[in-house]
Amino acid sequence: MTATSPIPQQHIDCSCRLPLFALFGGAAVWLALSSVFGLVASLKFHAPAMFANCACLSYGRAFPASQLLLVYGFCIPAGLGVGLWLLARLGRVELAKPFLITLGAKLWHLGVLTGFIAILAGENTGHEWLEMPRYASVILFLGFLLMAVWAFVTHTRRSEPALYPSQWFILAALFWFPWIFSSATLLLQCFPVRGMTQAAVAWWFAGNLLNVWLPLVGLAATFYFLPKLAERPLQSHYLALFVFLTLIVAGTSTGIPAGAALPAWMPALSGGAKLLMLVPALALAAVVVLTLRGSTAPCGGGPLCFTKFGAWSLVIATVLLALTACPAISRVTDFTWFSHGRNALVLYGFFAMTMFAAMYFILPRLAGEGSVCPHRVRAQFWLSMLGTLLFAFSLVIGGVLQGLKLVNPAIPFLDVAKSSLMPFRISTLGEALLLVGNLLFLFNVGFALATYYRARCRRVFTDATATLEPAGVKS
Amino acid sequence: MNAEPKTCSATTEADPVSETTTVPMWLITLALVLLFLGAWVFDLRGGWFEPKVYGPYTSVADAGRFQPPPPDGPDVKRGKVLFEQNCALCHGNDGMGKPNQAPPLAGSEWVLATGVNRLIRIPLVGLNGPIKVNGQDWNLQMAAMGAQYSDDQLSDLLSYIRSAWGNKASPVTPEQVKKVRDDLKGRSQAYTVDELMKLPE
Repeated sequence: MTATSPIPQQHIDCSCRLPLFALFGGAAVWLALSSVFGLVASLKFHAPAMFANCACLSYGRAFPASQLLLVYGFCIPAGLGVGLWLLARLGRVELAKPFLITLGAKLWHLGVLTGFIAILAGENTGHEWLEMPRYASVILFLGFLLMAVWAFVTHTRRSEPALYPSQWFILAALFWFPWIFSSATLLLQCFPVRGMTQAAVAWWFAGNLLNVWLPLVGLAATFYFLPKLAERPLQSHYLALFVFLTLIVAGTSTGIPAGAALPAWMPALSGGAKLLMLVPALALAAVVVLTLRGSTAPCGGGPLCFTKFGAWSLVIATVLLALTACPAISRVTDFTWFSHGRNALVLYGFFAMTMFAAMYFILPRLAGEGSVCPHRVRAQFWLSMLGTLLFAFSLVIGGVLQGLKLVNPAIPFLDVAKSSLMPFRISTLGEALLLVGNLLFLFNVGFALATYYRARCRRVFTDATATLEPAGVKS
Repeated sequence: MNAEPKTCSATTEADPVSETTTVPMWLITLALVLLFLGAWVFDLRGGWFEPKVYGPYTSVADAGRFQPPPPDGPDVKRGKVLFEQNCALCHGNDGMGKPNQAPPLAGSEWVLATGVNRLIRIPLVGLNGPIKVNGQDWNLQMAAMGAQYSDDQLSDLLSYIRSAWGNKASPVTPEQVKKVRDDLKGRSQAYTVDELMKLPE
């Protein structure tokens, strides 16, 4: 092999194996655990006395724990794993220092475990989406840096100089997360700012994570896998760039709710930014429609189905966000279950589904053909899709109904609370379906990893126990 | 040569390519229209980064219009707050005074005097020695508790004690306080009753 010849794809995939197994395996475990705690928290609405004697299973601990495991345990490691693979594959270069990236992944999972135990023990900081205590945040930050630095080095060593749209998204995400996470941790936990400024910082961070970071990483995967699986070229390079620019410009200031008790310019600026989010949403819809036009690739519950469902979920979730820019609407939806349902649509409907697609595409390439069973993938698609739809839309619709009753002073508060039980029943059903889907996902990932290691062990065993041929020494 | 098991797919797959079609005009138009609308919404509701303006108000003037108008003359509500912070510890919230601490203000002839020349001097520099209030003898010291207050604040406070607890006397204006303060010419020594009685009412 000469220096100028391209590196075989096989070597690139093999260089990704160790870090990606660490990231995906951990992510699958955290996701299943997150669903368990999410279901416990959801069941509390129907049976408040359940587990009443166990403090660590109370709503105030189970719900933040499930959020932490979903966002930090599943979304970020899964996104980083897919991002690393895309950077290596698109740059046509082997991953730099796979061992250090694996170390970073282990450190990240340790941080998640620390935060998880701390929250169950009652060490909640009280800031939504940043519930883990300071020591867990530091471990998470170091783990992320270790992975992001070598991801960036991989990118600088690329042998393919031309950039594909997915690479911009991932590179921006590599820098975006340390920025928002360190700012929020410093301002909330190390040198806390005073009073309502804390709420503004926490909302800014959550808005950036939900409306910028997750879409950046998820869309990187969408813009790679959608054309790849549909066997059509991406329509188009410039439209993807347009999505990228409008998303980061508008998305970064969408976090403050309209009814926040902050100086009027903050919610007003956020309102304008939410309105502008219609632009990336419609541009994304245009990319999906134009790219899929004339595609004959079968969907069949495989990765293409996941990707399409994910992209449309993001479009709908972003349109819902843009609607709340209208004061007449945000007056009803603010501080109801609406935003929780919308978050679920972004986290499960868009991000998790897109990541499932990417992982089901990548795993057979790392763990060997036949390590992922298409039937189980299809079963998981239906479970996750139905679960997400029931979970997210029951809360979105329930939130609107709840808000309409809350703004009517003639209806007592207790009646409003009681009437939101029906949407909760449906959302609990959705969470139960998601739990089954996520357990199936854990099984699929575990099966793929087991297939690989079994094959490897078998090889070592065969080599070790092979009957030795006579060495051809003539007697 | 490769020690790894043959699990990584050996066939080379093509990466997706992207077309170079331009962004449709309708999207750019929409982006500009929404940018204009967003800026318009901000102009209407944002209060232009003024930290004192909170929703639903949109400017300082707008928020100011909804504040209750200041009362004509001294503000006895503000005077009540000042009294309770500074005077009530000894004179009591009910103005009845406390044994060995301070004489009563309710019904006191010193408080209810027609002219306020003597009354204003007491909080400004203090009062020492024997005094007869409501027919009862007191012999205590009062420091210059009111010297820290502005003319407006002191007039609010004195108007409060002249109108609370059944007291019914005319309010004290800031101008009266200012006149007395000027007349004191920087005196800081506390008055005695004899000195006060030599002054006009």
